[in-house]
Amino acid sequence: MPANDKIRRSWLLVPVSQPDRITAAPNSSADVVILDLVEFVAESDKPAAREMVADSLASVQAGGAEVFVQIEPDLMLADLRAAVWPGLNGIVVSRAETAQQIAEIDTVISSLESERGLLPGSVEIVASLETAPGNHAGFEIATASPRVWGLTLGRADLIMDLRPEPSGEIHLMQYLMQRLVTIAAAAGKTPLGAWWRHPDRGLLATPDNTRAAAQRGRAIGFKGSFCVLDNQVGPLNQGFTPSESEVAAARSIQQIYADATESGTLAAVTHEDRFLTADIVRQYTNVLDLADACATRDMFKAAAVEGRPVPVP
Amino acid sequence: MPDHPRRLKRSGLTMPVVTERFINNAWHRGCDFINMDLEDSVPPNLKDVARNLIKESIPVVNKGGADAVCRINHDLMEADLNAVVWPGLMMVNYPKAEHAHEIRRMDEIITRLEAERGIRPGTIEIGANIETEVGVTNAYDIVSASPRIREFGGASGYDMSRDLGVEMFVQFDQFVYGKGEVELTARALGVTPHATPFTPNLTGSVSDPDRAFAEADAARRCGFRIGGGLHPNVVEPQNRGFTPTDDEVADAHWVIQQYRQLSHTGDTWLQTQDASGQPRVVDRYEAARAEELLQWRAACEERDREKNEAIARVRAAEASA
Repeated sequence: MPANDKIRRSWLLVPVSQPDRITAAPNSSADVVILDLVEFVAESDKPAAREMVADSLASVQAGGAEVFVQIEPDLMLADLRAAVWPGLNGIVVSRAETAQQIAEIDTVISSLESERGLLPGSVEIVASLETAPGNHAGFEIATASPRVWGLTLGRADLIMDLRPEPSGEIHLMQYLMQRLVTIAAAAGKTPLGAWWRHPDRGLLATPDNTRAAAQRGRAIGFKGSFCVLDNQVGPLNQGFTPSESEVAAARSIQQIYADATESGTLAAVTHEDRFLTADIVRQYTNVLDLADACATRDMFKAAAVEGRPVPVP
Repeated sequence: MPDHPRRLKRSGLTMPVVTERFINNAWHRGCDFINMDLEDSVPPNLKDVARNLIKESIPVVNKGGADAVCRINHDLMEADLNAVVWPGLMMVNYPKAEHAHEIRRMDEIITRLEAERGIRPGTIEIGANIETEVGVTNAYDIVSASPRIREFGGASGYDMSRDLGVEMFVQFDQFVYGKGEVELTARALGVTPHATPFTPNLTGSVSDPDRAFAEADAARRCGFRIGGGLHPNVVEPQNRGFTPTDDEVADAHWVIQQYRQLSHTGDTWLQTQDASGQPRVVDRYEAARAEELLQWRAACEERDREKNEAIARVRAAEASA
């Protein structure tokens, strides 16, 4: 499992072509703002939208968010030239299908990094596996470049035309989610996604449904999710942050195990009929570490929004 | 590559080719296809007799407009193919497909027989049925082995249950992994996925029309198109269940009309309410679904007309005889 080095719970997709959405983004409390050039920009607006990326990079970061730009392989060169500027944290590759594409994107990013004075290797990649060939080649894609930080299914439900089953689950999604989480872990990358159900579609849902999807998603291994609307950001942050009761339970178990093993004669104990070993307790320690990291991230964003000096994360 | 428009396969009956009354009566049931079985429904001592009945049975099952399919035996593949590849056959179903080399061998034999017997090259499809874990594991190589595989699915059903040693009729989906792997393979290689959403079935009934309709309806709503069964009772419910309703057609027109309003606005989606007051998102994906639904409905109507006319022709000929 990759370390929880970066807290990226909520990824808000904002069409670069819509100035009001760009203006609102810093107040969204998103961990990551994705400037979109693919899904939510009308085809005829794309050339003008590319021109707006460089200026938008700095403005959306005013709320303490990191910033990614979503591009597509077919328009890779124009999209990357528009996107790779100082301040950029990463690229989301929509409709990623082959390792070759990722390798080519890596090469273009490298040359732009050196031309434009970015730290070499600093721009990360999230590969969005939204097609059947992309999902099939998921592991090759994940390992095609050291820049790949995460994997997600993006809007696979729409792009692969996956529709609700009578149960309310989106057809094939449970399989694709488990497959992606497994591949990501095996490749040392971060799985991103939420467990959406009917009537949620294409990353779009009510705040309540978004929170529930995030909680289910976290329960199967996702670390954060993309979303489309400002009012989905809070529910994603909440759903991917350990709850207060989880934190309290984790602290108590940690203490109980520490007390029980203090003598150095025991490594496995039972508490309230539950089995505890060092490895099991480590899972609870991870929960506490995650909760701390989330709190730090939230403090940092709050300070940025208020224009206060921010604590160094 | 010659263009092979997909034939509709909403409904179909599988029957032992040796049972004359089944074969002689199947043509007027209204099936999109009829699957003449040489495999599990034919006893071992009749395998020879059975395969030699296929040539004469093709025109019998064809006469009501149904397409002729034949399920051969895994272990008798070469002898069966020699006996069944004749003009009028649409597809050979190959059970318990496990390895790419089996499919390549079938392709070679069918290619030779098509040439020898005056069948346009590439006409006859291979249905590679995945019914074992070995088949699931090799799914990608199997589908890659021949362009004759134009639809693909499986990893559930009687044989799969036996291969896994599990009960088939239970409350939950026991085949999530295998079915997912097989469907992803079909989609990744661009062949039509043959799948169906899970619906709990504790009875195992083969003749319940309500159940057949509910399954077909759920499959259609999930975007699937292929049915088939064992009892004449399920034919009409499957044809109906796989055909979009008038309400859905009206809704599709509404979606396309809404989508047109988006052009030149710079927006890529809109949120609105449909005729029944439900909140709806309209975007290019919904518009594409709507277009596809209208095409599918037209194809269903055309297919029904084709079958009805064929049946009427036969009845008229019988009446005047």
